[in-house]
Amino acid sequence: MKKTRQHRIKKYIYLLLCTLLICSCEDFLEVDGPLGQIESSEVYEDETTATAAVMTLYGKLRDEVLLTGRPEGVGTLMGIYADELDFYGFGGEPMDSFYQHQVYSDDLIVENLWNGSYSLIYMTNATLAGLENSKTLSNGTKAQLRGEAMFIRSLAYFYLVNLFGDIPYPTGTKYETNRNLPKVPVSKVYEMIITDLKEAKSLLGTNYLLDERTRANQMVVAALLARVYLYTKQWSLAETEAGTLINNVFVFRLEPEVSQEFLKESTSTILQLRPKYDGGNTLEASTFLFTSGPPPLVALNPEFIEGMEEGDNRKNQWIGAVTDGTETWYFPYKYKYNSNTGTSIEYSIILRISEQFLIRAEARVKQGNLSGALEDINVIRNRAGLMDVDANSESGIIEAIINERFHELFTEFGHRWFDIKRLDLANEILAPIKSGWKTTDILLPIPEAELMMNPNLNPQNSGY
Amino acid sequence: MKNNYRHYYVLPLSFALLWALSTTLTSQNGSPPISGIITDANEPLGGVNILVKNTSRGTQSDMDGHYEIAANNTDTLVFSYLGYKMQEIAVDNKTILNVIMFPDATTLDQVVINAGYYNTTDKKRTGSIGRVTAAEIDKQPINNPLEAMQGRVTGVDVVQNSGVPGGGFKVRIRGQNSLMAGNEPLYIIDGVPYDIKTLGSSNTAGGIIPGADISVLNAINPESIESIEILKDADATAIYGSRGANGVVLITTKRGKEGKTKITVSSSTGIAQINRMAKLLNTAQYLEMRREAFANDGITEYPATAYDVNGTWDLNRNTDWQKELTGRTVNARKIFAQASGGNADTQFLLGGQYQEETTVFAGNFAYDRLSVNTNLNHQGKDERFKIVFSAGYSLEGNNLPSIDFTSDALRLAPNAPALYDENGNLNWEDSTWANPLAAVESKYSQDSKNLISNTIISYSLLDNFEIKINAGYGFTHLRSQTTTPHTIYDPAFGLDSGFSSLITTDARRTYWITEPQVRWHKKIGENVWDILLGTSFQETANEQNGVMGMGFSTNNFINNLSAATTLFILGEKKTEYKYHSIFGRINYAYRNQLFLNVTGRRDGSSRFGPNNKYGNFGAVGAAWIFTERNNYSWISFGKLRGSYGITGNDQIGDYQYLQTYTIQDYPYEGSIGLVPSRLYNPNFKWEKILKREAAVEMDFFDKNISFSVAYYNNTSSNQLVNYALPGTTGFTSIQSNLGAEVENSGLEFNLEGVLAHRKNFSWDSSINLSLPRNKLLAFPGLENSTYANRYVVGKPLTIVKLYELEGVNPETGIFEFKDFNGDGVISSDKDRQYIADLSPQYFGGLSNSITYKAWSLDFLLQFAKKKGYNQYRYTDPAGTLSNQPVSVLDRWQQPGDIAAMQRFTTGEDYEAYLAYSRFTQSSGTISDASFIRLRSLEVAYRLLLGNEGGASCRLYLQGINLLTYSRFEGGDPEQAKGFIPPLRRITFGAQFHL
Repeated sequence: MKKTRQHRIKKYIYLLLCTLLICSCEDFLEVDGPLGQIESSEVYEDETTATAAVMTLYGKLRDEVLLTGRPEGVGTLMGIYADELDFYGFGGEPMDSFYQHQVYSDDLIVENLWNGSYSLIYMTNATLAGLENSKTLSNGTKAQLRGEAMFIRSLAYFYLVNLFGDIPYPTGTKYETNRNLPKVPVSKVYEMIITDLKEAKSLLGTNYLLDERTRANQMVVAALLARVYLYTKQWSLAETEAGTLINNVFVFRLEPEVSQEFLKESTSTILQLRPKYDGGNTLEASTFLFTSGPPPLVALNPEFIEGMEEGDNRKNQWIGAVTDGTETWYFPYKYKYNSNTGTSIEYSIILRISEQFLIRAEARVKQGNLSGALEDINVIRNRAGLMDVDANSESGIIEAIINERFHELFTEFGHRWFDIKRLDLANEILAPIKSGWKTTDILLPIPEAELMMNPNLNPQNSGY
Repeated sequence: MKNNYRHYYVLPLSFALLWALSTTLTSQNGSPPISGIITDANEPLGGVNILVKNTSRGTQSDMDGHYEIAANNTDTLVFSYLGYKMQEIAVDNKTILNVIMFPDATTLDQVVINAGYYNTTDKKRTGSIGRVTAAEIDKQPINNPLEAMQGRVTGVDVVQNSGVPGGGFKVRIRGQNSLMAGNEPLYIIDGVPYDIKTLGSSNTAGGIIPGADISVLNAINPESIESIEILKDADATAIYGSRGANGVVLITTKRGKEGKTKITVSSSTGIAQINRMAKLLNTAQYLEMRREAFANDGITEYPATAYDVNGTWDLNRNTDWQKELTGRTVNARKIFAQASGGNADTQFLLGGQYQEETTVFAGNFAYDRLSVNTNLNHQGKDERFKIVFSAGYSLEGNNLPSIDFTSDALRLAPNAPALYDENGNLNWEDSTWANPLAAVESKYSQDSKNLISNTIISYSLLDNFEIKINAGYGFTHLRSQTTTPHTIYDPAFGLDSGFSSLITTDARRTYWITEPQVRWHKKIGENVWDILLGTSFQETANEQNGVMGMGFSTNNFINNLSAATTLFILGEKKTEYKYHSIFGRINYAYRNQLFLNVTGRRDGSSRFGPNNKYGNFGAVGAAWIFTERNNYSWISFGKLRGSYGITGNDQIGDYQYLQTYTIQDYPYEGSIGLVPSRLYNPNFKWEKILKREAAVEMDFFDKNISFSVAYYNNTSSNQLVNYALPGTTGFTSIQSNLGAEVENSGLEFNLEGVLAHRKNFSWDSSINLSLPRNKLLAFPGLENSTYANRYVVGKPLTIVKLYELEGVNPETGIFEFKDFNGDGVISSDKDRQYIADLSPQYFGGLSNSITYKAWSLDFLLQFAKKKGYNQYRYTDPAGTLSNQPVSVLDRWQQPGDIAAMQRFTTGEDYEAYLAYSRFTQSSGTISDASFIRLRSLEVAYRLLLGNEGGASCRLYLQGINLLTYSRFEGGDPEQAKGFIPPLRRITFGAQFHL
């Protein structure tokens, strides 16, 4: 009796042991995918998610990288770096290094500019690769999205090459390759940008996909291409590209009133970024606007205000002033709404037709067409309520163009800095007013950490 | 709010009254010849064996320590109890014999030690296990169980990240093993793994709690803990496999005990403060510095933004901002009650605690916690079937400002304007400063619920064969919110409540575990076998959501998300983690003198890619008691033990091997934002740590002195690294295994002694000392990585590489640094070659426990020899608009001056500015931060309420962080980071046993 019982128990034990040991339960370790994450390959098999991946690129530009209206965008940073804006934040804040021209290779802002831009470029490259491998998307969708991604990549490279000079130019997503890339000379970078923009132009349609000019099309690409030709001194090409936009009067008409220029319905707009939230307005407005002095962050350089002509409507309409009785401070007032207005009134405008007039003017001067140039400048001047420009020599007109660009495009994504840089005027203009200025400040340093991890990026830009 | 605290002092008084009553009510009828109360100097001791010497007559004391026995006047009574010294006392015509039993600290071989899946004793254990018991925990006024380990256990370095309630701790057991994956020990509460990864969100808590690291262990009331065991070596940790690498902390809660129902009620009230403030410049000194700086820089007219010196601010104001912003005294109070008892088959315990405390910050902020814990044990009449159930539930509330004012307090100019204007509104002084108290209007609040429960069911199939299932379930739910009304911004921005915002986050973690096990044990002649085999299934699900609401019609509705005009989702995260293992242990003992322990585990984790889900871990431990066979007159016990084995570390995030896009907050034109999550690497796997240990444990002179020394050497390889990549790859890092190796080795000493054990006086003392050494053995590709400036092969991981300060040039008055490579330029990549190690060289504690009659005194001195960042580390150049440590006054003023600080500059002098920014990255910011601290102290007086069977009361005064001796000038030497340091805390309380 006892024996059988023990025997039975033993049997149970063995059974139990076997279940314990045999069942290694590989299946148990299977987990559901994480919420809010989609397998990369699936993203480009569906039009909605593929489009979302491309729309995110615009969202990144608006909120974080390069063209954001936040203080960390080039609009504010290069504004205080040049003679547009004065920095009123507290000493020791990271932005102070830009204002004082005490930027070192370990500067956090420089690192953010670099890493943010390349992160955006990685996203465009991942999109390009994803579209390439997609089996289900229609060719039309693929072409549209590819065109937009290439445009945004070119835009990022355009700013990077102007900020840093020679830069690496990743076009794929493999980190094993991208971590060792060498620098590409400036001229070569421009060549690649031009090739990419031409392809984007061929891929995209002529019409805006949406009513509000918030996504790239052929015209948008042409506008950037015109600027790139200007920067690379390819005058006739610049003139042609700008010309196609200026002549397309059904779409682009310079708003007659400067006060209408920055509304979201403005017919001057070539590309604008829709705010993050319905009813929201631009980040530029939250950065620049203030209602009492001294300014909390930045204000326009008083010299800039003084330099504006009497009767310039842009001074009344695009510049705000605050006074405490003894001192007056000025702020960029192109965008007027810094909080939620129920329905958005202003979008952040990336490209507008005024710039194209000024691009064409400059291209025309350089090709000897002085009268054509004056015509273009005067369109901008007259719209601002000013008389025709009083100049007839090449150098005089160039000077007028530089001035007009300053007064028309101020605090828009560092135009001023990039202008005085490309025209070799930075030293002349900044040396007297910036005690920290050095001629090597023409380029930002490549972040120290990058050089360390990728020695192929050596040498560092001179002066750092 | 304040009045409540006053009420509170009434409580101890009412207890005193109760005591007075109970004395008079004690009955006196029918006493046998001899009776008395047996205590252990703290509380009544039940179950003590009382024997009339040379007879078979005996009895046991009841749960109140009371006993009665018939004995003659000439008899001698023998009192004995496990873990206590045996005493013989002659009756000698007395009828009442109250006895104090003294713990026999050196005969812990009979005290059961929890080793996780099995129990052992101090004598038989083969592994390295440290221990803190309720007796020590209850003597400290602490809020978090981790505080109890500070200074008490060798090899365990515990540093409190912040003195704000709810803050986290850094715990390192035998050093830092991993370069970048987690270095946290595994926590097991009553057999259930407890994920201590914070559920805090940096969106809400980031500014006030360092790293939003809200310690989940705050949910455990320290008074509910019976013991904390710390498993350190391979032998003890290998059974935890892939999670044992950084040591294991086992927390065991109190259990019900057989006997009459026993009720304990205690209540305490106390205060706390920051005990070391930095010494800063006052207004006169500050303005002298500023004026000198302008003079040095050749600036004669103060610029418009130099509000502090140009007359915009009152030049005569003087505010001690540390006192103003972080100088409040914390009021704390606690009440605790517990009932326990039961018969031989069924026992229960029920405990509850409530506590509340304010903060050191300006403004009305407070923390409170309500916790209950319960335990039920039952066994069948035949003792084959056993069931144990334990559960703890707690509610915590925490209200804090949304940022810590510590760094504001250090930087604000002493003549900065008043915080409020005449109308009681925040004063912005015409936009000339950022009012720090604006942040008080931005409130952080948190409430959390925490359940942890566990059931163990076991059945003995045969006498030597047992099956057992351990099952646990728990959850943590943490809700937090931060309100940011527009009023915290400078009115110059012209904002209205349309700009106010509210962020709420909601995080939940639920987890369960089941662990079926079988155990077989048998004694065959001189050989004792004990074999355990089990399997473990575990699942943890985490959910985290964050919502932000912006734009309120009025700030009155700022707590209502529904009143916001715009809502957006900050994050929505749901992750799952699964774990499955098989583990086993074979223990063999020969003649009670040779012990062999083999443990192993095969682990599978969902955190790793399909190719690397499983890993094997194991260890061998052995011990030899050499005093069993040979008798030495003065050595009462001697043991050699050693262990060798491999454990692992899987502390990386979930899903890291997947290639995915993540939804992120960049909505555009009706689309959601989709961002690539990470660079793709499906192949990474566990970190492995090879642990070796050898130790000697000895007792001398009739076990009055015991001594142990252990040497360990752990090498971790296959490092899981978030390997830094250049930004051109689109990311700054990738998760991968790197062939780097890290060695942790060290010596640990323990010396315990019974200095006196007389009738009315006892004195026990113990000292522990840890000498840890950490070394990076290998790091392939270090030179070309971002870590080149952080690590050096052959040096500890905790080093920092800095410029070497050579002093102030007497001619120029500017700091000079050593040009290591001699190229005439000080460059950040080549000349930061000065190496300072910031981890302690040695640390330990000296604890003493003294009783005299009804009085007892317990204190712990904690000490550490280490270096730390001093007062200059986070400063702006001396002379800029920022206050400075008073030590800057020893500065250069004119050529020829020999000074410690360079000439003051406003920042306009480029060279001086640059030199100062290098100075903050130089050896000049490293100081000796060694300290000796009176870590805890308790003075207690014990009253027996009535002669027999009655109640007792203990009155105590407790303190922690009471005194610190250190030459360090940068605030608290233990923690110096710009957050509130651990507070000095003094508590008065009373504890009643009824």
